Amino acid sequence: MTEKLATLWPEIILFTCACVVMLLGLSERLGVRRLCAPVSAAGLLIAGLFAFYKTPVDPAAMLPNLPVFGKVLAAGIGLLILGLLTGIPDRDYEARVAQGRTRFDPKRTIRSEFYAFFLFSITGLMLCAGATNLIWLFLALELTSLPTYVMVALSTQRDKSLEAAVKYFFLGAMAAAVFLFGFVLLYGATGSVELAQIGATLRHQASVEGGINPIALAGLVLGILGLCFKIAAVPMHFYTPDVYQGAASPVAGMLAFVPKAAGFFALMLLLTAPGWGWMQPGGPGGGHGSLPTPIGEILAIIAVASMTLGNVLAIMQTSVKRLLAYSSIAHSGYMLVALLAGPGRPGTLLPENGYSAILFYLLSYGLTSTAAFAVLALLERKGPDGQVHEADDFADIRGLRKKHPALAWVLALSALGLMGFPPLLGFFAKLPLFASGLAGGHLVLVVILGLNSAVAAFYYLRIVSAALLESPDASGHAEGMVQTPFRGRALAGYVGVLAMVAMVVLPLLSAGSFLHVTPASWASFGGTYKDAAPLAIAPRLPSPAKPMGAAPTGEGPMSEDAPARP
Amino acid sequence: MHYVAVSLVLLLIGTAGLLLRRNIVIILMSIELILNAVNLNLVAFARHHGNAAGQVFALFVIAVAVAEAAVGLGILLALYRNRETVQVDEIDLLKW
Repeated sequence: MTEKLATLWPEIILFTCACVVMLLGLSERLGVRRLCAPVSAAGLLIAGLFAFYKTPVDPAAMLPNLPVFGKVLAAGIGLLILGLLTGIPDRDYEARVAQGRTRFDPKRTIRSEFYAFFLFSITGLMLCAGATNLIWLFLALELTSLPTYVMVALSTQRDKSLEAAVKYFFLGAMAAAVFLFGFVLLYGATGSVELAQIGATLRHQASVEGGINPIALAGLVLGILGLCFKIAAVPMHFYTPDVYQGAASPVAGMLAFVPKAAGFFALMLLLTAPGWGWMQPGGPGGGHGSLPTPIGEILAIIAVASMTLGNVLAIMQTSVKRLLAYSSIAHSGYMLVALLAGPGRPGTLLPENGYSAILFYLLSYGLTSTAAFAVLALLERKGPDGQVHEADDFADIRGLRKKHPALAWVLALSALGLMGFPPLLGFFAKLPLFASGLAGGHLVLVVILGLNSAVAAFYYLRIVSAALLESPDASGHAEGMVQTPFRGRALAGYVGVLAMVAMVVLPLLSAGSFLHVTPASWASFGGTYKDAAPLAIAPRLPSPAKPMGAAPTGEGPMSEDAPARP
Repeated sequence: MHYVAVSLVLLLIGTAGLLLRRNIVIILMSIELILNAVNLNLVAFARHHGNAAGQVFALFVIAVAVAEAAVGLGILLALYRNRETVQVDEIDLLKW
């Protein structure tokens, strides 16, 4: 019990911090109210450092290294998104208070709730990474989502964001009910809520009955479908463009990362339970092989549909926010290819391990998409009706280089990064997706992934050319754009792009050959925990006496992994 | 196993309500119905397997359902104040 608590320090710190922030924002004094954002940042920073240096690797977990990396990722990208969110709550209200037109009334402010809810959501994401059983996973997913519904509703004063919140909430609640039903069927089929125990029971049942238990199968399918909402993949993707457009750009930037990461953590944990290796003659067991047949097929269909639909619909958009929303659907499709490939043989490293590929891609996607949304959040213009409009349309960013050269470059670089243009981080993140897909034997999927990346280049290059090459059009929208006065947003944009470039350049200088880039940059992550190889996100399967035979496989890590072999 | 059948029927009614009804409040009720189907299932399975995990799970589900309803009704109230409607068809500012 206490060992488990020791792995939860980052969450405890963030939760405490959220409670403090909730009180700070209600203060009569402006100086104290202003502390909300810095205190949240400090909380995230301390939680991240704790996760990085102090969190012990939980030996009972199925994916021992996932919690540590997941928490560091959540805190790091969370800091960037926090910068992005500054300036949203109470902007008009504080202006009126400052002009003396109204008196400060704690009941009418949303500042404390807004930052606290953001921290709650990040706490949920961290808990998701560390989940070991179904109840925990369900609660963590809900803790991630519930605050985001409120944040969407609060993000602007207009009806649009309320409407976006209604759509987001109802589809989200439906998706939660669906994956919850799936979890319950899994419990019904195996009689346990512990993920590791569920996996062991499923494999045992399969060895007796010669196939996966149909109730468990239905449960897994419903679980995957429900989680598709969180990662914005195809059958549950309808909300994405509407919600991204209706919410303020910073909140849309948050939605692009936080629920997606939570969904992928949950999918990894859920799929590790039955494990890979169902199609092999030896029956279910080890890490290498494929998922139970219908599950693998469903995931493949979802992956292809998400990639294709996301990219094709993104081409047709005139709103940059909707475009980024469709591209977020496509990115989920890319990552599902690696998910399908699975963790590979025990101990395989990055190019072949689909799980590490997903985690690295999440890092890269978080940095680049946050930077892209930061540029949109930094630009606004006063409309003829006196209302402030955020940058949204292509007309708003056309010829951006004339007035805001730095922002234009940030936008162009992040678009190139999302596209996976060779020297940028997105490219090195995409390579392992291809490699792990190939290693898992999904040639067709990898080809479709390649074709889709080419299609995606079309609309990402449209952003680049609009920002850098074209001149402003006659509507005058681009000339009217002014930069918002929030330094946090600018910081998020610049730091995101700089990190994206630095993470490539530094390992390139030290490692030389480019394929070592990703492992080298990861080794610094891996250096902090002692007992595990840097990239071994391979599952630790509690398999009852694998029928491996006497023949040693010749793989180094394998033999270390199973010391009890006769 | 009768319990599971009942919960399946509840699930179907809930899903049908979710997809067919146009009033948001009724959609919210349909979601609650699905969550109740889940609870019934959980308790039945807990009895079947003879362990308490399912019942504990059901308690958590009830708590989360309450939180969800609170958030949902809050958003709904704010929408109603601004738009004066709870019909799904009339919420149509955002379209592709």
